[in-house]
Amino acid sequence: MAALRKPKQPQPYDGMRILDLTHRYGVYAGKLFADLGAEVIRVEPPDGLPDRAALPNRDPRFAFLNANKKSIVLDFGDPRAEARIDALVSSAGAVFIERDGPLYDAIGRLRAANPRAVITAVSPYGMTGPLADAPASDLVLQAAGGIAWMSGRIEREPLALPFSQATMVGSIYAATVTAIALHHAEATGQGHLIDVSVQECIAHSLQNAIQVWDLEQRISIRGGEGTRDATEDIFPCRDGFVFLASPLAVGNSWKSLVAWMVEAGHPSGKIFSHERWSSREWRLTREAREEFRTAFTAFSTLFDKEEMARQAIARRIVMGPASRISEVIDDPQLAHRDFFTQVEMEDGALVRFPGAPFKLTPQVWATARAPALGEHNASVKELSS
Amino acid sequence: MKPDFLKGVRFADLTWAGAGPFSTKIFSDFGAEVIKIESSVRLDSVRTGGPFKDRRFGVNRSGYFASRNTGKKSVVLDLKSEEGRALVFDIIRKSDVISNNFGPGAMDRLGLGYDAVRAVKPDIIYLSMPMYGEDGPRAEMLGVGMTISAVTGLMWSTAYGPGDPVGPGTHYPDHAANPYHAAFAVLAALRRKRLTGEGMKIDLSQVESTINFIGTAFVAQAMTGEEPPQASNASGEMAPHGIYRCKGEDAWCAITVGSDAAWAEMARLMGEPRLADDTRFASTAARIGNREALDGIVTTWTSACEAGEVAERLRQAGIPAARVANSRHLVENDVQLAGRGYWQRVEHPELGNSLYASPPYQVDGERVELSRPPLLGEHTREVLSLLLGLDEARLDALETSGVFK
Repeated sequence: MAALRKPKQPQPYDGMRILDLTHRYGVYAGKLFADLGAEVIRVEPPDGLPDRAALPNRDPRFAFLNANKKSIVLDFGDPRAEARIDALVSSAGAVFIERDGPLYDAIGRLRAANPRAVITAVSPYGMTGPLADAPASDLVLQAAGGIAWMSGRIEREPLALPFSQATMVGSIYAATVTAIALHHAEATGQGHLIDVSVQECIAHSLQNAIQVWDLEQRISIRGGEGTRDATEDIFPCRDGFVFLASPLAVGNSWKSLVAWMVEAGHPSGKIFSHERWSSREWRLTREAREEFRTAFTAFSTLFDKEEMARQAIARRIVMGPASRISEVIDDPQLAHRDFFTQVEMEDGALVRFPGAPFKLTPQVWATARAPALGEHNASVKELSS
Repeated sequence: MKPDFLKGVRFADLTWAGAGPFSTKIFSDFGAEVIKIESSVRLDSVRTGGPFKDRRFGVNRSGYFASRNTGKKSVVLDLKSEEGRALVFDIIRKSDVISNNFGPGAMDRLGLGYDAVRAVKPDIIYLSMPMYGEDGPRAEMLGVGMTISAVTGLMWSTAYGPGDPVGPGTHYPDHAANPYHAAFAVLAALRRKRLTGEGMKIDLSQVESTINFIGTAFVAQAMTGEEPPQASNASGEMAPHGIYRCKGEDAWCAITVGSDAAWAEMARLMGEPRLADDTRFASTAARIGNREALDGIVTTWTSACEAGEVAERLRQAGIPAARVANSRHLVENDVQLAGRGYWQRVEHPELGNSLYASPPYQVDGERVELSRPPLLGEHTREVLSLLLGLDEARLDALETSGVFK
């Protein structure tokens, strides 16, 4: 596993300071900048931004989403802090703020303090509109944005995505648009105000559901009946599950799959050689799904995930293991690419973290642990001036 | 507004299908010149994938394609021909970025590998985004977005309960993590190029990108040594926390109750204020411990009311709640999205006046207005003439010899 070193090569965001006052839906944005060289400073009230109170010490969410940031403490209520806030904002290229956190209602002041800066405001529903102040949570935003509707089995309730995906989607849109606005602001000296709605970010991530409604007046729905081929699903194998996609349209995935079963002398090979399996329409029906599930499971449960992956690659079948999180860390491909990295915690312990989301050449990505509250007070000169 | 924030940035864009074009769209929406180089022989699979205007197939009639390619230019070239490839190199010489999401080795087979491109354009930003990365024992595994969900643990973790995985119902990694990690990397490379004059190679493994999107689960597993729970819609920190059936067909409301005070308020709204004092539900820990009974009580209430009404009453009381919106509701009835002007209609010769989601933010108080997606090959002659300076006679000759296909 790769050790962490600050790259020798210049990093993309060298010389860029970013103030980060997010505490929930925008938190991952700052990490993306920090890992590419920006100085990302959490500016926190004396008892910390709300995420410190909400999450226990060394909480993995806090540790990951705030990796590589700095932290300083400012008493936002103290009138003497105002000059320091202005000095900090004036030293920054971008400022992230978030609803229910400090300075969200002080946009005019931020812009006056630094007209060249990009101010990115992240909020559940946006700064305007009837729900601008509405209470929200990750699950609720996944419902309001339409993604919760898309997952689950048809006979059960809709199923939201795990691991705070409203935060991840909101943050990644906030990061990219901020980078675009910075591109312009650095070139022209003209700052920008970005108003990111997490609900809109989720609604922007619905595959083609909006166009399916607009053009064909069909509502995309969980379970995939009527839209997904019978083969596109998760199926059990000997030691877990695999995901398969062998619709007729995807290369030779179907032909190869059936050929494998026939070659193995398995009775399912004969079932799938029946001519109705060449009908795209029939393959979308519930009957096809049920027949496929029964006959494919009779075959797939003979093999373990490892063997299924090997056969999938050799036979050009679109199929992969549905790994547990604790299996992904032993994935041979990720090991080959030395993907995971180690981050040294405050107590010196090394913890395995995901490596870069993109492999860059020259290598200019590095991460580090999240900051303790106020850890960098002494090193940020605008605090003492 | 039609922002010109990225004016002067040019892409030779070879991406196709879902994730790749979604990542370059954000550049064209902000004023970059994204030259989509495509083939009429091997069509972009979303051009043929639908949904189609009036349910009638046509290479310019797919709404899916339209939603991923606003504001781009389309140039059709036969990359397998000598002349077609030479023209691509001429476009690359004048571009900042070349982007593709083919499988490993495909660009090399087209003669467009990193070294070949860098030889003609030393400061190129070269984006590749194959599923599993460029090399390694599983690099050749074929996959769609759901395969990425599978091998990253996202599918296992999207579950109704222990041992009962379902997975995201969409090719989710294609629509969030991967296009935008890719776009972010290109924007970073553009800044580094301004600082150093150097280009950059970006090898985005869609699996590695997606693992970052569920990175909190990996850090949790590393810290505790335990597999993160397959938690369904439930939470280990709150109850009620779920999606509850409402009155009507397939109607649902998401509700999350974060404190004892919020629970007391909800009990009052349900007309059962005594529930706040019921020892089974008196604390968060108690409510989590008695989740099944609790969810039963909540469902009794919600299933007698309309989803929108449940959500509105809870929100008024300060409790996070929302109807589980489907596409039709979002487009026709969501007052928040409508109030912020989220939906736009854009004229197009074959799609008519069709619907688009705006980029999900306002910039300086305004919406980013989208420009329509290109017809197949619409800009071939324009780009070759204006950018490369080819004259009419040369263009005619190329057309006759079949290079524009």
